Amino acid sequence: MHLTAQFERRQEELRASELTQRLEAESVDITLPGRTPVVGTLHPVTQMIREVTDIFGRLGFQVVEGPEVEEAYYAFDALNIPKDHPARDVWDTIFIKAAKNREVVLRPHTSPVQIRTMEQMQPPIRVVVPGRCYRYEALDATHEWHFHQIEGLAVDENITMADLKGTLGEFARQIFGKERKVRFRVDYFPFVEPGVDFAIDCMFCQGKGCRTCKGTGWIEILGAGMVHPNVLTNVGIDPEKYTGFAFGMGVERLVMLKYGIPDIRAFYQGDLRFLSQFSRPALSEAALRG
Amino acid sequence: MKVPVRWLKELVPTNLTAREIGHRLTMAGLEAEAITEIGANWDNIFVGLVERVERHPNADRLVLATVNLGEQRLTVVTGAPNVAAGQKVPFALSGARLFDGHSAEAKLITLKPNTIRGVRSEGMICSEKELGLSDEHEGILVLDEAAPVGLPLRDYLGNEVIELEITPNLAHDFSMVGIAREIAALTGSTARSPRLADLTDSRAGGSLVTVEAPDLCPRYAGVVMENIRVEPSPAWMQRRLSAAGVRPINNIVDVTNYVMLELGQPMHAFDREFLNEGRIVVRRAEPEEKIETLDHTVRDLTPEMLVIADADRAVAIAGVMGGIGSEITNETTKILLESASFNMFSVRRTSRALRLRTESSARFERGIDPNLPLIAARRAVALIQEMLPEVRVTAVADIYPVPVRPRELSMPFAEIERLLGISYPETVVLDILQRLEFSPEILESEGIKTISVQVPTYRADVTNKADLVEEVARITGYETLPERLPERAPIPAEIDPMRRLERVVQDTLVAAGLSEIITYPMLNEQDLIDLNAAGNGLPSRYGYHARPEVPLVTAVNPLRSEWEMMRPTMLPALLKNVAENVKFNPSVGVFETGRVYLPVSPEELPNERRTLGIGLAGQRQLVDLYHEARVVDYFDIKGIIDALVRRIGVIEPAFRAITHPSLHPGRAAEVTVKGQPVGILGELHPSVIAHFGIASERVGIAEIDLLALLEAGIEPWRFQSVSRFQPIEQDFAIVVDEHVPAADVAAAIRAGAGVLGSDVRLFDIYRGQALGPGKKSLAYRVTLAAPDRALAEHEIERIRGRIAAQVERRVGGTLRG
Repeated sequence: MHLTAQFERRQEELRASELTQRLEAESVDITLPGRTPVVGTLHPVTQMIREVTDIFGRLGFQVVEGPEVEEAYYAFDALNIPKDHPARDVWDTIFIKAAKNREVVLRPHTSPVQIRTMEQMQPPIRVVVPGRCYRYEALDATHEWHFHQIEGLAVDENITMADLKGTLGEFARQIFGKERKVRFRVDYFPFVEPGVDFAIDCMFCQGKGCRTCKGTGWIEILGAGMVHPNVLTNVGIDPEKYTGFAFGMGVERLVMLKYGIPDIRAFYQGDLRFLSQFSRPALSEAALRG
Repeated sequence: MKVPVRWLKELVPTNLTAREIGHRLTMAGLEAEAITEIGANWDNIFVGLVERVERHPNADRLVLATVNLGEQRLTVVTGAPNVAAGQKVPFALSGARLFDGHSAEAKLITLKPNTIRGVRSEGMICSEKELGLSDEHEGILVLDEAAPVGLPLRDYLGNEVIELEITPNLAHDFSMVGIAREIAALTGSTARSPRLADLTDSRAGGSLVTVEAPDLCPRYAGVVMENIRVEPSPAWMQRRLSAAGVRPINNIVDVTNYVMLELGQPMHAFDREFLNEGRIVVRRAEPEEKIETLDHTVRDLTPEMLVIADADRAVAIAGVMGGIGSEITNETTKILLESASFNMFSVRRTSRALRLRTESSARFERGIDPNLPLIAARRAVALIQEMLPEVRVTAVADIYPVPVRPRELSMPFAEIERLLGISYPETVVLDILQRLEFSPEILESEGIKTISVQVPTYRADVTNKADLVEEVARITGYETLPERLPERAPIPAEIDPMRRLERVVQDTLVAAGLSEIITYPMLNEQDLIDLNAAGNGLPSRYGYHARPEVPLVTAVNPLRSEWEMMRPTMLPALLKNVAENVKFNPSVGVFETGRVYLPVSPEELPNERRTLGIGLAGQRQLVDLYHEARVVDYFDIKGIIDALVRRIGVIEPAFRAITHPSLHPGRAAEVTVKGQPVGILGELHPSVIAHFGIASERVGIAEIDLLALLEAGIEPWRFQSVSRFQPIEQDFAIVVDEHVPAADVAAAIRAGAGVLGSDVRLFDIYRGQALGPGKKSLAYRVTLAAPDRALAEHEIERIRGRIAAQVERRVGGTLRG
């Protein structure tokens, strides 16, 4: 009995010392590189579209999409941009070969989806539309022939310009920080009346005036306005009963402002050394800032 | 449009600075893009009077000029050929900053006292170039006689110019008077009207003007003037034109341009001697008719275009440009002034068809108030008679069959609040509309207030209630609008399944180490030909899809020849991206979720299919402490697709060998879900790798039709309860013929294991003499578990037996060992 106990104790001691030896032998240089799983990057434009549509999603806007190869009727006429009107020049358009009696374009903006949405839905309507757009435009640091827009549309009884201002203000503060000031100024887009140019105070100089804001202290973010009564009539919504607001913004411009990117062409050159810099989600910064 | 502030302030009294004017206009819809200052650096430069000019004692080509500056007299040495006693001139004292007159570039130098050939020179009489006004350096700038001696030049000639962007709706703001009206409305002051000549006594034109196309020309006023003397226009007019960006030509042409800038009415002056029969016919162009325009270009006209003709030929393209042959020359003595209203759409179509855009067409295509032409003509006559008092008006024609009157518009007063979400007091609204010359009235009937206005004819942009509300908001300022959120939200709709799928696909691939790219979705035919490994023209398949029978979606006006059509496959752009990236990165893995554009018919829009493209190149495994380097191959792309498809809920995707024009014949597969093909994958054919110049031994690609994947049905699933009994792992070595696909062997094992088999994993392939020729041995580790019990030895034996039977029956295999 005594022997057995002694034997067991000895055995226990041996096990313990063996373990100690093993642990000592297994010690490593913990600064050696780990076996890191490789993680890729979402394109910054995709990240911004997600961020923006998520914000509007929380404000009750549903994401819808539409065709990029589009009838001129949806791209222009139904939006109160008649043929032979100088307003049509604002959109330098790439046209698509089609049967003689038809005019087909690469949509120069996401606005045709306003029309398609209103044709299919009844008020209350609240949608955002991300998507690719195309213009017949020479490339330079601030112009791309292929770019992304996000369109927004709200139609209901009692939708006013104050609602537009509040909605856009909420959006801008969520993207660019809650200390942002917003500015509405008069602008013209054929499919809205009254029309608005929406700006935020420059986050680089806090509105004092710098190169990014061209000394004005304000950075234009998007165009907006109250849906033109002709547009509502075109889709069979009674403008006497309903009102609406619409807005549209360039996604690349938002990314450029947010990260100080000087040249829009970087987005579609597809260089991984550029893209991999966006491996931190765009959200983290805003989330941290609260 | 360039707005010289000095000119503007003559038309509307205001104490605002140029910057403030720019800001007010910007907020009201006329964006001030830039403000430039003429004379910003004119310190120490004054208006001087040249009192005496004498010969330089020591130089033939130089003179001594004595200049009176009011409080002092100075002598300068000058070589200017045009200096003369009695002139008012810009005079720079030492310390002034001037542009170097002898340098080709704009270089500022500081003036210092100087001694030239023994005579001290105490300043400089300046040329336009030295002042930075123009490139003119032949002689000195001679100022108007009225220029006050001793006045700083900046106060006399200095000017600020605001550059405004005029949006297409603002035809009425495309003039100095229009901007003056805006300032008046914004500040509550009153714009002044320019002086007009009285033409009521002038002889009616009779057959002077015939309008044959009244649909395209609602009004045409022609004024004949005689005793004209063509010469340079006065300095003040030239200065204003230059400041506004129009080159001075001669007094008559300058007046027409001046009136256009001032009132917004484009005008044209013809030399009447060169008009056949001295009369004007406004008509559509004849077929095959041609005209040589003032820019010395012969233009082919079509019958859709409106021309101004004399008795037998076109002399101008209406609203666009005049013709050679009847233009004003130094010999002109009789002119016919045109001031007309042309159909805006017609002018635009013509200007676009001829690719000829002018200051005139830019104004006409926005629409000109039909009540403006006669006012403009009277203004032009007044200006010409001011310069040339001997000029007589001998005939006036004004063809205006259907006069346009102010538009009557009314709306409930509450409309303002309905659109803006804020209301303003009636007095404020009335005051604003009054300032805009809308003659507003508020009427009340049965408790409902209505506001009614007469919209001036120059405001063709105000046609409905929303326009009227905008005017109120515009003048009060959008900054008065409150911020609010819409009251009621619509019932939240379902998230579009395709968007959900796209997000999962993107996130899964990023987690798998791939990076997302976005590429231009246009390509050209060569890109598609390059997809064909055989090199004999277009391939039979474009990536996943078969080559369509109808033509691809093609641009009429492609920006570049490389972007002619919308892509039917993601592959070319993906491969070009990979080719670039692999130059800089040893390991490249990229994907794009975009659309391919499949043509349907010339009568229908294309089918835009959401599609996933993946490209892998270089090494899939980089060398590091733990791994050898490994070049990408088929199994990398297969593994990604397999994981991706399972991730979105497909239990068992199937892979089938295919031949594909772009892929390696032995490493190409189609992936199917429930028998439906959803995509292709494989290694790129070496020839295609070469076509795209990709510096990588192997390239893995996949193209998945996401809509097909979605439609193949991601089935709803239910959870299965997990067993608390430990699973058992059993190894099976199965010998089959070489040609038997491994997937079939695995399927046989699964069939044999039935519900008890939870995982079937291939871990070794063995070929050797022991097996005999044409045989291979596949080693599988199978995990067996039952939900309600630990498996007993006899049960495991029974499963081994069933697996052996299934393998034998399905793939002709035998269990080894």
